[in-house]
Parts: sequence; C-alpha cells; structure tokens
Amino acid sequence: MYSQIPAPEKRLSKDAVKVWMISETISHLIAFIVIAVIFYLDSLFEWKEWIGWILYGIVGLTVLSAIWSIFIQPYLLYKNWRYDLNEEFLQLKSGAFNEEHQLVPMTKIQSVATNQGPLLRKYGLYSLSIETMGSSHGIPALPEEVAIELRDRIAHFAKIREVGQ
Amino acid sequence: MIQLKRYNPLTMLLDLWGLAKNAFFLVIFLFVLKSGSESTFIKYGRIAFYLFVGITVSSIILKWFTRKYKVDSSSFYMYKGLFNKFEQTVPFTKIHNVQRRTTLFHRIFGGTSITFETGTDTAVKFDVISRKEANRIEIHVKRMTLDKATTDQADSDEMGQPHTDEKIVKLDSARTIHFKPTRKDVLKASFTSLSFLILIPLVTSFYSKINDIVNVEDKAEGFLASIMNSWWVITILVVILIIASITFGIVRAFLKYGKYEISSDHERIYITKGVVDESAFTIEKDKVQAIEITQSLMKRLLGLAEIKLISAGSLGEDALDTNSLYPFLPVGRAYEMISEILPSYEVTQTMERLPKKSLWIRLLKPSWIWIIATAALLYFKPPIINHTHSWWILSAGLLIFIIVSRFLDYMNTRYILNGKFMQFKTGSLQTELFVSKREKVIEVKVTRNKFQQLLGLASIGTINRAKPVHHTGIKDVPVELADSFYTWYAGRTKEIKIE
Repeated sequence: MYSQIPAPEKRLSKDAVKVWMISETISHLIAFIVIAVIFYLDSLFEWKEWIGWILYGIVGLTVLSAIWSIFIQPYLLYKNWRYDLNEEFLQLKSGAFNEEHQLVPMTKIQSVATNQGPLLRKYGLYSLSIETMGSSHGIPALPEEVAIELRDRIAHFAKIREVGQ
Repeated sequence: MIQLKRYNPLTMLLDLWGLAKNAFFLVIFLFVLKSGSESTFIKYGRIAFYLFVGITVSSIILKWFTRKYKVDSSSFYMYKGLFNKFEQTVPFTKIHNVQRRTTLFHRIFGGTSITFETGTDTAVKFDVISRKEANRIEIHVKRMTLDKATTDQADSDEMGQPHTDEKIVKLDSARTIHFKPTRKDVLKASFTSLSFLILIPLVTSFYSKINDIVNVEDKAEGFLASIMNSWWVITILVVILIIASITFGIVRAFLKYGKYEISSDHERIYITKGVVDESAFTIEKDKVQAIEITQSLMKRLLGLAEIKLISAGSLGEDALDTNSLYPFLPVGRAYEMISEILPSYEVTQTMERLPKKSLWIRLLKPSWIWIIATAALLYFKPPIINHTHSWWILSAGLLIFIIVSRFLDYMNTRYILNGKFMQFKTGSLQTELFVSKREKVIEVKVTRNKFQQLLGLASIGTINRAKPVHHTGIKDVPVELADSFYTWYAGRTKEIKIE
C-alpha cells in the first residue's frame, strides 16, 4: 500500500490511551457488578446447577475481555490509528489485525462535528464525526485545538460541490 | 405555469379506493361475519370503525384542499398543511430520475402517476395527474434543465420560447429505439423465468381448498381409481395440464415483458414496459451512477443477462425493477446496448482473475453456518428416512455445497481498473458485474485482516450513490492491486467538475 500516494501520518492524542483504559475499566466494572448481582440471585433462589456453570463461563470471558480491552487494545489502537487530509481527500487508517484504509473525497462530505464526553473533557480532547453521502466516519481522540482546526478545515473543503451531485 | 395549482381531484378518489381496500376485511368481520352479534366488543368495534372512516375521509378531503404546487423555470414548489404550513422547494437539477406508473385505476380515468425522484428523501410525486399535465410538466422540466445546460439563460419564466421548442422537437425526433422484444424474446423470457411452473402451486392450493369443503378425495375414490387404470386418460390429462401451464406462463410473461421498449436520445434513457400496469422510467445519462449486469444460473446457461441502471433517486415503493433494461437480453446484445445508450461507458470483457492463494484463503476460512448447523444436527440428530444416524449426511452435503460455492465464487470473480472505469464481477451461482466511473464512486476502502497481511492480499470496496447506497467489493485481491486501486481513486480529481 501507499506506493503512489502518501500514507497518512497524523496520529491521535497520546492521552487517547488513558481515555480508552478508563472507559473500558468502567464498563467492565459495571459488567462485573451485574454478574455479581446474578450470582447473588443464583444463590438466593437456588437456580439449576447448569446456570452456575454458564455464569462461571461468563466470568471467565469477561476477565479475558477486560485484560484485552484495558491493557492491550488501547495501545494497539493508538499505535495504528493514522489520519490525514488535503483539500481533495480525507484519509483514514486504523486497525492492527484488521487493517482498514479509507479514502473519502472532500466533496462527498456532508457534515462534520466535534463531540466531547466527560472522559474526553477531563483530558481536553474531542472526537470528530464525519458524515458522508454513503457512510459515517470518526476520529476518536484529538487535542482540542487540533480537533477544532481540523473540523473547520474539513468544513471549508467540503463546501465545494461537484457538478451534478 | 407559475400560478399555484391544486392536485388532481381524482387523488381523493384514489385515496378512498385505498381506504376501501384496507377496510374490506374489517367490514366483512364487523358487518357480515358478526352481523347478528350484540357483544360489547363488536358494538364498540363498529363505533370505532365509523370514527376511523369518518376521520380518514375528512383527512383525505382536507389534504386535497390544503395541498398545492407550483412550477417555475427552475424548481418545484410544494405547499401543504392545515395548521402547520409546510413548504418545499425541489430544484430541477436535483432530480435523478422520473418514473411514471399507469395502473388500471389510472387507465379508467385516463390519468397516470408521475414521480420526480431526487437523491434525498424528498420526491415530487403526483399520485393522479392527467396525462396532458404530466407530459407538460415533464417536458417543461426537460426544457428548463436543457436550457440551463446549453444556453445558460433560464431566468425567464415564459415557457414558449421558440428556440428551445425547436431544440426539444429536434431531440425528441432523435430518440432511437434500442430494443423491443420480439415474440421469440417473450417466449424465452417466459421459460427462463420459469413462470410456467406457477400454475402448479395455484392448482394445488385451489384443489386443497375445494377438498376442505366438499371432500373430493372420498367421493371420487372409485372414479379416480378407474381413471388411474386407463393410461390414455392420464396421458390426456397430463398433456392438458402441461399445455395449460405453458399458456399461463406465456400470458404472464407477455403481460410483464411484452410491451418493453428501451430508447434513448442525446441526453436521456427511457424504459417503458407493462401491458396492463404500465411503467416508464426516465434517467439523464449523466445521472446514471453505475451499471449492473446480473446473470442468474438459468440465464448463464442460456446466455442471457439483465442490465440495471443504478440511480441515486429511489425506484419507487414496490420493487418493479423499473430501472432494469430488459431482464432477458442475450449477453452480446447486452454489452452492445450499453455502448449504444451510454457511449461514455466502456465495458471490456477481458478482466483479471484472482491469484491462486485467494482460493486457499477462501476455502480455509471457517464457515460459521456449517459449524452452527453441524452443532445443531449433532445435538438434535434428526432422523432422515428412518435412519437416526444419518444426520451427518446433511452436514456433509452442506459442507460440499459451501466448498463448491466458494470455488465457483473464486472462479467467477474478475476485476479490472480500466482508465477511469472500474469493473467488479462477483458471485457463485448468480453473478453480478458492476461497472462504474471513478467520478461516480463516492468512497473507497481497503481492508486487510491478519491472514491477508501474511499472504499479501487485501479486500477492496467502493460505495456508490443509490437508494440505499450501493456497496461493492472484491475479497482477496493482491495487495499491489489494492495499492493501485487507491491511487486510481485518488486520480478522480482529474475528472470531476467543481461548481
């Protein structure tokens, strides 16, 4: 790939790793609480034995998923995410095991927005969502000034319309 | 044409007819089946029914009184709403295709329905309109867009400018007919679509219904037995049945494909079809987003193909395949016709094939359907013809089917990037060839999973405008091709014109 056109080089904010770790920790904590409640109900109402086995299985899977998505995935995501744009195209690249490369013409972008949840706000980050005629894309975590600048640049380039659209 | 107009009053009649159709079963239930019933449920049901009918009828009438439209030199304007006024403007340049449907209802009253489809959710639709008015609007839209394109002076609101009139006349006379099915074509269509088989389920369901009521089987047992004994009666019966179903199939095919006509002029393509329910589809050549050539297994055996024009505008609620050129074209003629009606398109028949290693990756990929099906079979062990342990035959059969279809998919997959055109062919039993231009592709993507990364392969995909958007792609192409595909798409800036 990228023998003729330049590969995208710009990276996400380094803090993205922390944000993902925290948010994954929170969601896994919630999952564990739910499982604990079910275990409690199980012992209280003396459900059938096989339900207990299934619950143990779910615990195992959740532990594995927690290890993966808290300690491994954030680094991989950060390491592999790249984006870039010029006045003609937006380029996105992501994924380690499933690499994904996207090339979106600026003229086909319909809208662009910055979003910020509580975790992103803590680190002064924004995520960018981009709607095109055919699908929607997102850039997950960018520092505030980069995000705003990028949004304005995309909005500016996207104003240009092709004939016959 | 700039004064406000109401829609055709027959619209109300059409809506009432729709109401009558919907309420039919309710009426039967409330007033015929339960006619003697005095239960409270039925009593209130009837009151609710009267209310429902009253409200619907008055809303139909109000709707007609509040809806108006206006057409000027550049746009449609639609007004509706009683309390909340709603106004909508649709510029002619945003129209992607025009569709007309003339159902039996329209025929009785000498009208038609016409829809101007845009690329978004709004369409300009006239459910009932006199043919004269429909023609007038369609020609007006055509003239105004033409005017804009050629002379750039469309600000005047008068319609009867002599020079544009001449141009229209010229263009209309330049309309060439590309295809009209002959009797032979219709016969072929009726056999390819297997429409002669339709009589069988019809007859069996009819028979079983009759049997429920009068119990033919018991009464006719002796009679049937005597028939079964004389072979010539059976032969005659079978022959009659075959002739009947073939006739039925041909009549059906004739009604559907008999009055087909594909024509085009300098700017537009016209497809009309249908004997009882007529439909017409008009699209500007520039607004054709892509061409799709589909061949089912049957059509591949007979050397026939179906061409579809992909349009960004919707194709109407009922899937009538209005955008389909004749679905049973001989392959050679199909390719010829593309170059006739869309000279800006180049379709080449020589395409590249996938490398060997993409066959392996296809075959070795675990099939979730097979795994789940086998697990289910293992658990339930359904008996086949009284053998309890033969469930594995089903599993093996499914596996063979999956392997064969993957192999066929590998064999059928072809691709080429030919100048500014792309051609992707995919499919195992039924194949689809997708042809589009770089400027009409709105997005591309390349994905590579771990195995593809190891083997130097990639999957490529495009998105085209259609309703809903059209995704096409090829799995497991060499990564070098994915690279040049990306570069190819980046080259689209050479072709697009910016407003």
